[in-house]
Amino acid sequence: MAIAVPKRRLFGRTRQPGAAREALVGYAFVFVPMAVFILFFIYPMGYAVYISRFDWGILGPLGKVGWKNYTSLWHDTLFRRAVKNTIEYTVWVVPLQMTLGLLLAVIVNQRIRFRTFFRGAFYFPALASSAAITAIAIYLLNVDGLVNKVFGLHKLWFYDPKTALPAITGLNAWTTAGTMMLFYLAALQAIPTDVYEAAAIDGAGPWRQFWKITFPLLKPGHFFVAVVSIIGAMKIFDQAYIVSRGTGGPDYSTYTVVLYIYNTAIRDAQLGLAAASGVVLFVVIFLFTIIQWAFFGRQEAA
Amino acid sequence: MSEPAAPPFAALEELAAGEPVAVGQAGPTGIPGRARSERIQRAIAYTAMFAISLLFFVPFLWSLSTSFKPLSETANFALLPHNWTLAGYRTALGDYNFARYMGNSAILAVTVTFTSVFLGALGGYAFARLRFPGRNILFFLVLGTLMIPDQLRLVPIYRMLTVFPVTHWNLVDTYQGYWAIRLVSATALFLMRQYFLTIPRDLEEAAKLDAAGFFKTFWRVMLPLAGPALAAVAILEFQGTWNDFFWANLLLQSPQHWTLPVGLAQFVFTYRTLWNSLMAATMIALAPVVLVYLFFQRYFVAGVASAGVKG
Repeated sequence: MAIAVPKRRLFGRTRQPGAAREALVGYAFVFVPMAVFILFFIYPMGYAVYISRFDWGILGPLGKVGWKNYTSLWHDTLFRRAVKNTIEYTVWVVPLQMTLGLLLAVIVNQRIRFRTFFRGAFYFPALASSAAITAIAIYLLNVDGLVNKVFGLHKLWFYDPKTALPAITGLNAWTTAGTMMLFYLAALQAIPTDVYEAAAIDGAGPWRQFWKITFPLLKPGHFFVAVVSIIGAMKIFDQAYIVSRGTGGPDYSTYTVVLYIYNTAIRDAQLGLAAASGVVLFVVIFLFTIIQWAFFGRQEAA
Repeated sequence: MSEPAAPPFAALEELAAGEPVAVGQAGPTGIPGRARSERIQRAIAYTAMFAISLLFFVPFLWSLSTSFKPLSETANFALLPHNWTLAGYRTALGDYNFARYMGNSAILAVTVTFTSVFLGALGGYAFARLRFPGRNILFFLVLGTLMIPDQLRLVPIYRMLTVFPVTHWNLVDTYQGYWAIRLVSATALFLMRQYFLTIPRDLEEAAKLDAAGFFKTFWRVMLPLAGPALAAVAILEFQGTWNDFFWANLLLQSPQHWTLPVGLAQFVFTYRTLWNSLMAATMIALAPVVLVYLFFQRYFVAGVASAGVKG
């Protein structure tokens, strides 16, 4: 939906008595929100770039280094590892979230009883805080935990470099599926019913209908969910931090880009380097945001 | 100018309100033999759906059950506790300070919700109704903040709160610092503005003839009409703050300031095998959000859906 800028009234241009007062009141009403947005959003964006050009310790700037922090990142094996982990996580979690979200949305979109119950149930994990969800996951995936017992395994999950990141991937696919379901549900509503009626008359069963009609017609939906999911995946932090005590372990297998930013800033007090990695992450996220805006901007215009 | 990343789909609010959902799969009528196969299909579908919803509930139910087990039983593979006990809750709340964390979480969540709803509504009203030079540019700035990820803000905000510009306050590890950065969100302001735009102007015109001031019009006329939007914003902000780990973990460093998510993480770091207490603390962290969800599901989903849209 486009933002409905209120239509200028017929004589809106002529200054009526009271217009100055109205403007003053307007500024007064938006003053505090604007102060917050400028001070804690707009200004920090520039400040991040500024800090990233310094060697910046805990007490302040130690010296200007230009773009050296960015080249240091490029050569930093830990940063490279963090990028690799984050990409690996993204590549797995996005298709999982999309598949699960679509499956749940198709289920909930049927003409069924208890639809509200099912929707509530599927959305339920998305309510919980990341800390609570991670605590539950740590409990269920401990050596004597439910998952190992049910499947007869003795895996260490979060303590094994091979399974730690996949475990986080599964966890987040599960918790975010409900949110993706909501987006897919909205996209499903946009498909006109008569397409299905025509297909049914032609004798297409539900399976064929899904693959020949629903799935291709959901293209804008797939795109939207994919971008939201990718952007979310690149910000992965809480779960990785909590399962590894902030170390990104075992063996750096859960070291993500945001964990790198956090540890570089807070633990190592290298604010310049941390700011540079924040800027790099922002640029990547921004590119995806632009793609999304461009795509959906055109959709609206049509 | 278009809303950031809004999906060109049916209104999410409508879905959230549980309106009758348009059915995608049209049931073909008048084809012989359809009725029976459809019934079988339906039975399979229901079984699958209950199985899947079980999959979504089981981890929570299992954890809930564990929170009522004595520590000695937590290694047992039993769905229900043999001896029901509140020991886990007592230990978590008392010995491990979760009562304190709960209080901190409540204070922060409630205050942030109040300021965000009030300032969001006030700003939203101004952007929706009052005319002042530069309004569109300022609103564009508001929307622009939605694109700035928290992960970019981490370093500059941390630095700013360590040595605040001009005043040189140190606001790290204070509630004031946490409040300052969460005082109002662009999402709150945006949602309120969109809602105010849908309210017919006649109602305010009447108030204006009454010579009521702008604030009075806002307070007496507009706010009472904006109930659903206020509820959606309140729930969104409450959940966001109650669940927040990123900023709370960064800024609230000393144990007496920890919120529930931070306390939970720290408990996991140190005492993770006290499973009954850990799960009790987890249930305490979940409870308010779950309760709000059960009672206000429609507003909840509307708010979360529109916030999720921001990406």
